[in-house]
Amino acid sequence: MKKKMAYIGEIAPLSLSDYFGEPACVIFFSGCNFNCGYCQNWKLKKSSNEHLTDIESIKKVISENKLVTACKVTGGEPLLQLDALLEIGRFAKSIGLKFGIDTNGSLPEALAKILHLLDLVSIDIKADLDEESYRRVIGLQSPPVSEVIKSIEIAMRSDAYVEFRMVVIPGYNDSTKTMKSVSETLRALGYEEKASKGKACFNLIEFVPENAFDEDFRGIKNPSVSLLHDLAVSSGLKNARITHRGLGILKPVY
Amino acid sequence: MMTEAILNGRLPPPVRRSDGVIEPFDKERIVKSLVKETQLVKVLYNLPPMSEEDARMIAEEVEEDIKNMKLRFLSGPLIRELVSVKLLEHGFDKYRNVYTRVGMPLYDVYSIDHSEGYEAKENANLQPNPETFHKKKADFLSKESYLLMMPPRIADAHLRGDIHIHDLEYWGTRPFCQDHDLRYFFYYGLMPDGTGTHTSVAGPAKHAEVAILHAAKVLGAAQTNFAGGQGFFNFTVFMAPYLMGLDDKKIHQLAQMFLYEMTQLYVARGGQPVFSSIQIEAGVPKVWQDAPVVSHGKIWKDLTYGSLEDQVHAFANALLDEYLKGDAMGKMFNFPKPEVVQRRRYWTESEFEDVMLKAAQLSAKYGSTYYDNVVPKYRGGEEGVSCFQCCAYAFAEDGASEDFKRKINFEDGAHFSMGGMQVTTLNLPRIAYRSGGDENRLYEILKETMDIARDALLLKHRIMVQQFEKGLIPFASQRPKGAPPAVDIKNLTHTIGFVGMNELVEHVTGYELHEDPSAQKLALKVLIEMDMIRKEYSEETGLKFSIARTPAESCAQRFAVADMIHYPKYAKEYVKGDLERALSLYGDTKDVPIYYTNGAHVNVSAKVPLYERLAIEQRFFPILKGGDIFHVWLGEANPDPEALLKLNKKLALESWIGYWSHTKDITVCRACGFVGGGLNESCPMCRSQDIRVYSRITGYYQDVASWNAAKKQELKDRYRIRLPA
Repeated sequence: MKKKMAYIGEIAPLSLSDYFGEPACVIFFSGCNFNCGYCQNWKLKKSSNEHLTDIESIKKVISENKLVTACKVTGGEPLLQLDALLEIGRFAKSIGLKFGIDTNGSLPEALAKILHLLDLVSIDIKADLDEESYRRVIGLQSPPVSEVIKSIEIAMRSDAYVEFRMVVIPGYNDSTKTMKSVSETLRALGYEEKASKGKACFNLIEFVPENAFDEDFRGIKNPSVSLLHDLAVSSGLKNARITHRGLGILKPVY
Repeated sequence: MMTEAILNGRLPPPVRRSDGVIEPFDKERIVKSLVKETQLVKVLYNLPPMSEEDARMIAEEVEEDIKNMKLRFLSGPLIRELVSVKLLEHGFDKYRNVYTRVGMPLYDVYSIDHSEGYEAKENANLQPNPETFHKKKADFLSKESYLLMMPPRIADAHLRGDIHIHDLEYWGTRPFCQDHDLRYFFYYGLMPDGTGTHTSVAGPAKHAEVAILHAAKVLGAAQTNFAGGQGFFNFTVFMAPYLMGLDDKKIHQLAQMFLYEMTQLYVARGGQPVFSSIQIEAGVPKVWQDAPVVSHGKIWKDLTYGSLEDQVHAFANALLDEYLKGDAMGKMFNFPKPEVVQRRRYWTESEFEDVMLKAAQLSAKYGSTYYDNVVPKYRGGEEGVSCFQCCAYAFAEDGASEDFKRKINFEDGAHFSMGGMQVTTLNLPRIAYRSGGDENRLYEILKETMDIARDALLLKHRIMVQQFEKGLIPFASQRPKGAPPAVDIKNLTHTIGFVGMNELVEHVTGYELHEDPSAQKLALKVLIEMDMIRKEYSEETGLKFSIARTPAESCAQRFAVADMIHYPKYAKEYVKGDLERALSLYGDTKDVPIYYTNGAHVNVSAKVPLYERLAIEQRFFPILKGGDIFHVWLGEANPDPEALLKLNKKLALESWIGYWSHTKDITVCRACGFVGGGLNESCPMCRSQDIRVYSRITGYYQDVASWNAAKKQELKDRYRIRLPA
């Protein structure tokens, strides 16, 4: 039988910060269709042949790992390898693990196909949801903003817990104006209702310059805890959280 | 006239004695001192002292030598050196041992006072201050003396690196560590000096604040009598009677007071805080449920600990809340180490969820919680009393032990006294090298080496019991109002530790622990063998012996270096770390970056996920009743406490791990004082580059800047793995 292979760069067998409330095994798919200057995992941007991994060996790691209660696939962009993702998702669910993915939201059709397996979907919000703002952050001439919106719609309608992750990069997306515009878009797509059921959150994440993909981004200073806090408050969204090295632990903002 | 006679060599010059008197040379003084002082040979090695004839012969020869030297100056110490040389010339090695002076070069004394040189960096926990300088000089003198006083067979085994005798500077004066029974002090009151002659004597605490202060002072006073950690088992339970009727705010205030007392009582052993720990029970353990409360100077007739569960629970919560807050700067309280007890009911009864969650939050924030898991059967479960001390050594009394019931009921002052007499550690890799890879030979050499360790422990026992009975460990031997002594000296545990199981099995099987089941099987066999030998020792002597992994912050390195000297052919293949750099540094410093793996741990740089490490290491826990620890390395700067809580639950209920902690990488900014998670290159708050990054690599937090490049890389790589295609 031919081995089923996937581009998988790394696996973190135990993470305590990638899946809310669950110790999780995190799988890093390689290959991405965005070109974000702030990217921390840019070594996984290209799906190089070195990353080709037998899916069976991934399953083995997941099933032997008795310490985790969830499995999360990130990357790279996981939805670019939908078949492999479906296979891993089905397997994780079959052994009783919760299953979740990170996505940049550019592949709504793929998302729709895997939605039935997902307990958690984390969608990146890079900036205001318009082409010009997105272009500056993700480094693509024609950013697929309408696809991102479609992905948000699909996720909102599902039973999965939806996390909207926004990495706050000073000078790019750290204005209260951006917060207002993003929160308006999210509200219009049904955020408040989902959040009030405890099924959605908005997470503002500290940008860490040291590991950024783009030289220029490495020169930007990281945002402060108080900036993240103020932005979270100004968004006016329910279940806002902030993530910053200065906090030491993951914290909800009330 | 006299000067001429001296210069002609007819008369020795006058002698400046070390007590400040100058007097003419008199060889009879040498004779007398030799006869008197070599009596020690009888005491220490059970050999005959020097005869007067031999002493006179030595003195006469020394006098001749001095005349021939034509010195203008002579001092007591110089004469003593000359006599020592003469003793060696005549083959009187043992007499020389007890007759020699001990001390250190003046240059080193000067360096210590100015906090320079090797001595300055030897122990990172000692801050340079006047107390520390004093302690360092005293330590040097003591270590040298005790090595001379020990039978040479034991001293040589230590010096060669076959074994390591811990806390050598306290060999003749202090037992190792102790977990105290607070009820004793709540019943009899507090006598810090143990006799009441140099300190005031306090009656039993009647108020909560006083109870807290007494508890802090017990640990402080006890530290002056012990070499190692001081703690309280069952702390939250025994404090509970003082908390009756107090509101939550007040209870928090008391908890905070205790943490500050224990981190600011900066008086122990050369100006450090007391090395302390407290056992935090969320509720009242089964054995204490029906036990009468002991506090306020009485045994309550109609009050049991079981009825105080609300107070115990509230105090556990308050302590953890205060630990979570940190000090006024937001820094963690590094003492007393919180040992949070894991029992099945704390996980299954929902009312205890808060304590378990706060423990997880504390791990996520500072990495400071220790988990003392009594769920696995081998821990004795709900029927006994046990604790883990600061350095992860474990002590226990099972419910069937003598006087257990009396101790539970505090009958006639009967109480628990759990602790360690002394730790002696085996260099396991060397045993493997010496065996030539032959398993049977390995067990023979193991037994020989353990026998030396046992003899060292028994010698320590004898010395300590003598000191104790003479009242020279007065806090421990105190007997207020005719009570039994505070510490049951004969009941302390004699611990045989070990380093480098990983390298032992690597030499014999060709695989490290994580590489092959055959390696794990051998490790288990060796441990079982060690445990059988331990049992023999206990039966032969009636004393408590136990086997434990050693925290080995310096001895993992010392053994590796010793083996590079004595067994270079093998050692260079098996020592871990940066061998090349170590070789280039050696000669200038003893602090070189090589080591053996601690205890029976998996190589820290092994690329195996946590669950595999767990599967290997948990099998050793049931044998290592003297203590072991499982390290969980947290890769993330911001761990999610809820996720960590679930991981803890799995470890508590589904593994054999008896003791674990989570290690978090910590960044400390020297510019703004920020302390937080992650291995950062600049301060996440003020962006200063003047930062220090700490991580716990061999069981304690260490400045990453002092690590070599390979180790730093390993630290970064530690959390992710690549799977083969």
